[in-house]
Amino acid sequence: MSIRVNPNVLPDLVSSIEQAQQAAQTATQELATGRSVNNLSDNPAAAASLVNNNALTSENDQYLTNLGDLQGKFQAADSALNTAVQLMTSAISLGTEGATGTISAADRQVIAQQVQGLQQQMLALSNTTYEGTYVFSGTDVTTQPFTQNNASPSGVQYSGNSGVTNVSIGDEQSMQTNLPGDQIFANANGNIFQALNDLVNALNSGTGIDAANEEVSQAFSQLTTQRVFYGNALNQVQNSQNYLNQEQVNLSALQNQLVGADMTKVIADQSQSQTAEQAALSATAQILSLPTLLTYIK
Amino acid sequence: MGTLSSALNIAVQAMMADETALDTTSNNIANANTPGYSRQTVNFVEAPPVEFGGQTYGTGVQISSIVSQRSAVLQLLLNQDTQQQGQYSSFLTTMQQVQTLFNETSGTGLQSSITGFFNALQQLSEDPSNTTYRQAVITAAENMAQNFNSSSASLTSLQQNADASVTQSVNQINALTPQIAALNAQISAAVSTGQNAGSLMDQRDQLLNKLSGLAGIAEIDAGNGNITVTTTSGAALVVGNKSFQLTTQADPTTGFEHIFSLDSDITSSITGGALGGALQVRDSTIPSILSSLDSLAANLENSLNTINQSGFDLNGNPGGNFFVPPPAGGSGAAAKMAVAISDPSQIAASQDGSAGDNANVDAMLALQNQPFVNGQTPINAYSSLVFQIGNDVATAQSEQQASQASIQQVQNQIGSISGVSINEEAANLIQYQQAYQAAAQAAAVISSLTQTAITMFSSSH
Repeated sequence: MSIRVNPNVLPDLVSSIEQAQQAAQTATQELATGRSVNNLSDNPAAAASLVNNNALTSENDQYLTNLGDLQGKFQAADSALNTAVQLMTSAISLGTEGATGTISAADRQVIAQQVQGLQQQMLALSNTTYEGTYVFSGTDVTTQPFTQNNASPSGVQYSGNSGVTNVSIGDEQSMQTNLPGDQIFANANGNIFQALNDLVNALNSGTGIDAANEEVSQAFSQLTTQRVFYGNALNQVQNSQNYLNQEQVNLSALQNQLVGADMTKVIADQSQSQTAEQAALSATAQILSLPTLLTYIK
Repeated sequence: MGTLSSALNIAVQAMMADETALDTTSNNIANANTPGYSRQTVNFVEAPPVEFGGQTYGTGVQISSIVSQRSAVLQLLLNQDTQQQGQYSSFLTTMQQVQTLFNETSGTGLQSSITGFFNALQQLSEDPSNTTYRQAVITAAENMAQNFNSSSASLTSLQQNADASVTQSVNQINALTPQIAALNAQISAAVSTGQNAGSLMDQRDQLLNKLSGLAGIAEIDAGNGNITVTTTSGAALVVGNKSFQLTTQADPTTGFEHIFSLDSDITSSITGGALGGALQVRDSTIPSILSSLDSLAANLENSLNTINQSGFDLNGNPGGNFFVPPPAGGSGAAAKMAVAISDPSQIAASQDGSAGDNANVDAMLALQNQPFVNGQTPINAYSSLVFQIGNDVATAQSEQQASQASIQQVQNQIGSISGVSINEEAANLIQYQQAYQAAAQAAAVISSLTQTAITMFSSSH
């Protein structure tokens, strides 16, 4: 005797139709979203990696925004120091002119006034602001760093501090973003305000002009040395931006690997599941319309 | 010695037996699509022979019994699979909603607000005296706190849904067990009088299967047609013709319903079925997720507070609490997470008191990559949670599919024993019809012979 089979085939048939429909639905969802992972349960490990990936991407976006900001600040500082270099160049040529033996005392007074003017412009530059804060006052960014003070030997008083700021520009990577103003404008190895003040006094009095010129030259070379900091900083910003942009491309590629749908495969899956569904439907219709023994009993 | 009257008797008995068989076949055909119906077959046996004068004479046919074709073992297997299926379905009903709360693939979840907060700190670090940036840090912190609050609230509300379904399942169980007890009584009465209890057993099997969908149960054959039903841990539900109601009582601290059997709390011992799944979600899975969120929230709050207190704000004053301190032990921290400061200048970004110093905000920012949340960075702690949730759902889904496939297979096996085959019944119909016709023909022939004998005797008068 043969083995008796379940006479009720309907649940099996319905289940095979449902399976095919399920597969078609999954493929359609993947096509619609472009992602192979639409729920955490689709691929828990990929979903968890996606969290870290998205966090890194967002973090890098912020680093890029910060670098843009820093770039603006560095450019403001660099441009101020560029003008300062030009002022010092003028001071050197005025000093040289004043040191000429044939010049009259009255003319020297005129030159002294011009140097005085340069000193005022230098003072304004040393108080450069960027987005409302002083660029050259160390970390005491809300205090005006340099003020006119005739009691001081240099004629100028520094009220900032010597603090420097380090800013993160990537994971485990940070850069110094400022030079304290006294290090630039009132450096012990070449004090700009002192040198300009001494030159004005020397021109007015007619004595010690050569020594004052020497002082101005020293301050000039100190200024160009310090200015290199901002040039380097701008380069570093550029390098970091390049690095982070590349990193974003990598992260985006990784994200696609983690949760992106393989479109070729999805389209193949979809058409396969449609074929399977049609086959299941057709088989069901055929099996359900099979005659029974009763059909033949007359 | 055979007689005409005994021959007539045999033919009539045969007709009656065939009528019973036709009746059974007709009943099978009528119930071909009735859920839970087990086909019935008739057992023909020879009637006891008689001995006379050294000869043994057959006395015809009898129906010894009508038997319902069933397998208790397969039914038990079906119920076990149904218990699993019920548990995973009920678990998934809630957990599929839980996973949408953290669906990072569509951008829902805590990642963006946690990262957003650290990004705001990063921006402030670049320009620590900038009031706009300071305001952005506070806004981002509030946003993060709100996200923790709402995630926690949604989880609690899903937990309450699971609690509501616990009560529903208990009510359904309590409605089923008296019916099973009543059927036990009917079946044992039928069995003791030798009646066919097939359709009563079909009903009881159906009810036991429904009960299996609700809770993990153990079925013990208590003899005489009775089935004793207990929970898998042994709490009595049905014994003989008695049923035992489960009761629920709200826990005074959590507000969640506990389940009692005969005054003892059996909540933690219940597994399987919709009830087991709801209890698993309510008492284990969601509490574990909530505790991870609480731990993440409390660690963030405490660490930020400590660092803010060690620095100086924009006005050069020592910093205070950044967040409202979390509850001791951290329980409920996510639900209650809140930012303590509203004035942007109160963020202690500076370590030396100067407005442009960013050393303290840098220390806050550095937390992003420090393993201070149970040995993990905040984002890693969160992504572990996301993995855990996804994995719980994925595991339950594949278990559910497996139990579904197993149910289908067992149902096919049950169908192969108990299912009504129209072809088979049609064949039986013809067979019994022909037997009936033959017996009737035999009766007619004997009747005609009797007539012959009567005529013979009356003509000899």
